[in-house]
Amino acid sequence: MNTAPVVPAVTTSPSASFLLWLLLLVPLLGGIAVAFLRDAKTAKLAALGIALLEFVLVIPTWIAYDPAGSRIQLSSSMDWIPNFGVHLALGVDGISLVMIALIGLLMPIVIGSSWADKLPEGRSVGGFYALLLVMQAGMIGVFAATDVFLFYVFFEAVLVPMYFLIGRFGGPRRQYAAVKFFLYSLLGGLIMLGSVIGLYVVSGDKLGSGTLDWATLTTVISQESQATQTWLFLGFFVAFAIKAPLVPLHTWLPDAAAEAPVGVGVLLVGILDKIGTYGFLRYCLPMFPAASKDLAPLVLVLGVAGLLYGALLATGQNDMKRFVAYTSIAHFGFIAVGIFAFSSQSVSGAVLYMFNHGLSTGMLFLVVGMVIARGGSTLISDYGGMAKLTPLLGGLFLVAGLAGLSLPGTNSFVSEFLVLIGAYPSRPVFAILATIGMILAALYVLWAYQRIMHGPVRGDALLGALKGPGAVAAPETATRQGIKDLDAREIAVLTPLVVLIIVLGFYPAPILDVIGPSVEATLHSVIPLGGN
Amino acid sequence: MLATVLTAQPVPPADKLSAPAIDYGAIMPVLIVLGAACVGVLVEAFLPKHQRWPVQVVLSLATLAGAGIAMAVYLGDESTPKNGVITLAGTLAVDRPALFLWGTLLVLTLGALLLIADRSVEPGGAFVAEAAIRPGTIQDRAQVAGTGMQTEVFPLTLFALGGMMVFTSANDLLTMFIALEVLSLPLYLMCGLARRRRLLSQEAAVKYFLLGAFASAFFLYGLALLYGYAGSVKLADISNAAAGTDRSDALLFGGLGLLVVGLLFKASVGPFHTWTPDVYQGAPTPITAFMAACTKVAAFGGMLRVLQVGFESTSWEWRGVLWGVAIVSMVIGAVLGLTQTDVKRMIAYSSIAHAGFLLIGSIALTDQGLSGTLFYLLTYGFTTLAAFGVISLVRNADGEATHLSQWAGLAKRSPVTAAVFTFILLALAGIPLTSGFVGKFVIFSAALQDGMAPLVVIALIASAVAAFFYLRVIVLMYFSEPAADGPSVTVPGAFTTASITLGVIATLVLGVLPAFALDWAGSGTFAFQ
Amino acid sequence: MTPTYYLLLSALLFSIGAVGVLVRRNAIVVFMCIELMLNAVNLTLVTFSRINGKLDGQVMAFFVMVVAAAEVVVGLAIIMSIFRTRRSASVDDSNLLKY
Repeated sequence: MNTAPVVPAVTTSPSASFLLWLLLLVPLLGGIAVAFLRDAKTAKLAALGIALLEFVLVIPTWIAYDPAGSRIQLSSSMDWIPNFGVHLALGVDGISLVMIALIGLLMPIVIGSSWADKLPEGRSVGGFYALLLVMQAGMIGVFAATDVFLFYVFFEAVLVPMYFLIGRFGGPRRQYAAVKFFLYSLLGGLIMLGSVIGLYVVSGDKLGSGTLDWATLTTVISQESQATQTWLFLGFFVAFAIKAPLVPLHTWLPDAAAEAPVGVGVLLVGILDKIGTYGFLRYCLPMFPAASKDLAPLVLVLGVAGLLYGALLATGQNDMKRFVAYTSIAHFGFIAVGIFAFSSQSVSGAVLYMFNHGLSTGMLFLVVGMVIARGGSTLISDYGGMAKLTPLLGGLFLVAGLAGLSLPGTNSFVSEFLVLIGAYPSRPVFAILATIGMILAALYVLWAYQRIMHGPVRGDALLGALKGPGAVAAPETATRQGIKDLDAREIAVLTPLVVLIIVLGFYPAPILDVIGPSVEATLHSVIPLGGN
Repeated sequence: MLATVLTAQPVPPADKLSAPAIDYGAIMPVLIVLGAACVGVLVEAFLPKHQRWPVQVVLSLATLAGAGIAMAVYLGDESTPKNGVITLAGTLAVDRPALFLWGTLLVLTLGALLLIADRSVEPGGAFVAEAAIRPGTIQDRAQVAGTGMQTEVFPLTLFALGGMMVFTSANDLLTMFIALEVLSLPLYLMCGLARRRRLLSQEAAVKYFLLGAFASAFFLYGLALLYGYAGSVKLADISNAAAGTDRSDALLFGGLGLLVVGLLFKASVGPFHTWTPDVYQGAPTPITAFMAACTKVAAFGGMLRVLQVGFESTSWEWRGVLWGVAIVSMVIGAVLGLTQTDVKRMIAYSSIAHAGFLLIGSIALTDQGLSGTLFYLLTYGFTTLAAFGVISLVRNADGEATHLSQWAGLAKRSPVTAAVFTFILLALAGIPLTSGFVGKFVIFSAALQDGMAPLVVIALIASAVAAFFYLRVIVLMYFSEPAADGPSVTVPGAFTTASITLGVIATLVLGVLPAFALDWAGSGTFAFQ
Repeated sequence: MTPTYYLLLSALLFSIGAVGVLVRRNAIVVFMCIELMLNAVNLTLVTFSRINGKLDGQVMAFFVMVVAAAEVVVGLAIIMSIFRTRRSASVDDSNLLKY
């Protein structure tokens, strides 16, 4: 109990707190402005400009954050609904800062990758980018909110732009996917609402007047009885487990990811799903330590189940986007194991994984999107030997895939390794099962790569796209006018990801330093109860 | 007068009857509304036909403004007692909740009245030229094309409004019964006045009338039994009698049960909801808007007062039953709403589900329950008003196109209308940053505080189910291709635009900055005397 | 004769009225059954007035009568208007509004 340094929970540093407000407002207002742009090109440029500005804003925010400082920094707060003690309160700790940085980083890449997308007929380009930017604002709000009510508002509000992005701009079964996504998330959100109201009522009983301030709640609720904590925990847990998604609440993700446009899919698996694991760390553990500890085995079982189940289904997938979605489910299982193993290495590894997964799976999704853009089919069986036609794309597919299977030297390896060594001492069985998941990862990634890229050029999609005399008979020597390798835009989009994947594979310290103290503080609330 | 007799009880033989004191300042808004309604009837009698519409519109709007000003003056007066006054010999209680409900009713009626007065969406307005014209005749076809309108609608609306205002502040059951009839009878009539689809409209009126009269008979029998139990129909007397006697509980609970059935019927709470979808569908849309918004406010306002003032002391006896009713209502609303193919019926089932939520707030007999329910009524009224405003815009050659399949691809034809309706549906589903979410939050937190956790869980699940049918409309509007011969969206005139704008802005403001309204709703409790 | 019998009689009348509303098909008869219910209430009120030794129950009966008269005006007008179209006052014929 006394090992951790005693730091004040929240300090207000007005000097830099405006940065968070800027981060929130720039994409929100920018998105609204972009919605009114009629010209497609202007809208794209404006959206890209806003996303880059946002990325630039992340840099001073990162610098202003002091890892050795207090738990929540850059915080600011103003009254919103005094009747419920609800504040417009923003602030970041290391974990949320890293996630905000990931959003800032991925957003220009997503916009760049969507540049040449053909939207369904009759849909406005401005609308698409406006929704993307509004969603960015919502996601930043989710990670920056330090008031549970405000968090909930963002948590739900993000659904609306995502729903329209999938439903209006997605693939053939977009209606089904969008509604399924929305209903799953809304159901989770409403169950969580029950717990949020519960927090308000319980804190009202304790303090005289209810509050929804996160820092206050962590001190009040963590003293509550086991039963109270368990009920409230379950409300939050279900919502986050749907979001993350943990098996068996995952079925919306493959549909949503398969039908979403590529850029939106990147945001979906890269960031939106992290809200779930972030929620475990930020809300479940500190507020309900007793319940978290009590129910940890359950979560670990779900995590491992997801890990193996996702891996098996990814192996069997023929649809490339669904394939990425299932790899993602496997990775989220891994992250959940890391979080609920309650050791500082495993949790650090899990948080690092949240960041790295955004890079590696995001890149995999982008590369898959580029493959699909060339062949026009999402089925793996429609491709083969593509690396001969597009060697660069093939190479980058391999990089993304290797990052996905956590090859040493890529970023994911560090995080998976930390999770495993952190989890092994206390939960050896789960750690061993998770290792099996890693092996399966090698299987599904390499097999998919082999089927798409290696061997003779084959598959309906590729042959159909090749033009010129004798193309079908002798594809390797045929003119390659149907299928081109990556163009400059695509290279520009993928380069930052490749660089980061490799750099963070060898030197993850900048991120680990930032998240370390926050992870310790999070664990501090659980470990005194004998969590490890 | 009843008032005189009630004060004189028990009647001493030789005593002179003295007139009761009347606080005119407090009841001025009601007097203005009812007085103007009478003037409206005279206008009908004495003005030539072509002058009636403008005069009635001006008169009605001036009435609402006047009543609003009278209320503001009364509230602004330093000498106004904080905990309310009971006037007219104990029949009317003008306390903070009553004033809040009056304000809500006035503003919502303003919105509904703008819809009623609109003549841009349909030339001549949504109302039949002469109620006596038989459907399907030559005269009927002529009136559909013409621009005449039965302008009695305006005084009828004001009478109904007056009845609602009295209903929410009635301090004894007889006043409540009279107010119930004053608000219901004009509504029965107005239901039958649609310009198009006259048969449907008349059928709705008959159904509403027969079932409404049936329910008010129950209310009345409940009143009689409670009179037998307590020797008085004043809510406070009933409460005192229930607290301190060993009289037969059969009379008390029999009376309460029958009384509550009457109230639940008016509030369209399941399983007493059967009239709601039919009447909502058949009535002219502006009247549906008026009913959906204002009747609900009045009915729950009355229910809150009856339960909190009259029956709080026996709550542990009856609360279980109302738990069940609330669950039934939420389930019926959410599940049957899924199967609907008509927008108006769908909103009707949504209103049944919302009535279940409101009932949860009403049976949380705490200050939070009271203020939460009041706030929810305010938010729901505005949202549903705007919803019906939008529904009245989507039309084809036969009038309103309410079948859901006709709404497919609406976003392409009219992006603004689709966006506004989407916002309204999200508010009904209770997505954050809309008033529906804040309303849910206040009601559920009050319920949880009062130990009704299982009910809250069921309510949350019901909201998730209900969200599905709201989503279905959004899917249709945005993700489907428009039908070739689909309806067109009328560009609304100033009145309808104003009404929809009022509803949408209130929904947004109450969702983003609800503090001021929450303060009003929580500024006082019922007067008990 | 004890006043209780009057209460029982009025309860009986009320029940007959309520059952009539539920089983009869002619709108006019349904409406008359509702009137029967209201008058049963009147009898109850007057009886309780007698039991309690107060006059206000009787006054309330007058109020109920006035309201019932107003209801007749509105109700008959509505039923008439639909009868003129359909040449039938059966509630079973009113079947345009359903799921």
